Amino acid sequence: MTRLDAGGLRFNVERLGDGTGGRETVVLVHGIATDNLTSYYFTVAPEFAAAGYDVVMYDQRGHGRTTRPPHGYGIEDFSGDLALLLDELGVTGPVHLVGNSFGGTVALDYALHHPGRVASVLMVESEPPTDAWAQKMSGLLAGSAYQLHDERTLPWIEETYGRHEARLVRWSMRLLHGTSIAEDIAASRIPDEAAWSALDVPVLAVYGANSDLAEMADWLRGLLPRCRTHTVHGHGHSVLVGTPETVGPLLLDWVREGHKELLGARVPTP
Amino acid sequence: MTSPATVDEEAVLAEIGGALRAVLDDLEFEDAPITRETRFVEDLDLESIDLVTLTSELRERYGDRVDFPAWFASLELSEIIGLTVGQLADYIVGRLR
Repeated sequence: MTRLDAGGLRFNVERLGDGTGGRETVVLVHGIATDNLTSYYFTVAPEFAAAGYDVVMYDQRGHGRTTRPPHGYGIEDFSGDLALLLDELGVTGPVHLVGNSFGGTVALDYALHHPGRVASVLMVESEPPTDAWAQKMSGLLAGSAYQLHDERTLPWIEETYGRHEARLVRWSMRLLHGTSIAEDIAASRIPDEAAWSALDVPVLAVYGANSDLAEMADWLRGLLPRCRTHTVHGHGHSVLVGTPETVGPLLLDWVREGHKELLGARVPTP
Repeated sequence: MTSPATVDEEAVLAEIGGALRAVLDDLEFEDAPITRETRFVEDLDLESIDLVTLTSELRERYGDRVDFPAWFASLELSEIIGLTVGQLADYIVGRLR
């Protein structure tokens, strides 16, 4: 466990690996609201460490055991945190970024604004930061916040999805009701769409076939110059936690490619 | 860092209790008796993220002989959420033997 002060916030950071440096670093970025670093710590993170990588996980602002400021939740705040944290940790070389859901959006935003510091991006059930994404995400967060004002919502979630999910949702209420996250996401600094054509970083986007995001795979391959996509059948948005035994090897294979060059790289087949 | 020369389950349970207090120092942790059957999430109201902090704290005490991330990865999420003090102690004792 590390408590790391950066940008006026105290971040909860977990690192796996021998920590001696000289190895490639994989940074795992979690999703929004109900998520935190356990989505990796309890699933795929040890596989990366066992395979010889240094692994960095952290709770994003407002999540887990990291500070929850009342304001400052634009996408640029989240990707700015990533830059500050890597500086503080002394991770200077290009890193492999893995992002789950919103974490993939953060990873992609970081990659666009920090050329040379990213070796590859692997997004699981993620979208790039666009105006449409910001409006949709803001609406989802505001809608969740509204629903959670109804005292019947949490019992319904527990009955439908179980106690663990209800605990995560109860935790997220501090963020949804106590901060301006929905408004801030809507007002995010969104990159010009034309800027993506200059993203010289290999990207693998993994989707669950049952997720409504899966249909954006074609569009994404057209938007990003070095993008491949992969669909995991039988799963939806929670594909990372739902089937780590499938997604883990997928992630590891991607990072192991090294990404010195794109051509000839291997894509796992479904 | 030094490690205990002999493995004593009572000592491990005491270490877990100590780590719990260290982790929950800034939370509302009542000084309830901790037994082997105590569940971290259901009984002590820990969040799953606190299990990470707790085991990191214990790793500071026991060193590389315990590998909590690998252990967690071998468990189903429901098993992690239902984890008891006794199960954690058994894992530690097993690794230290």
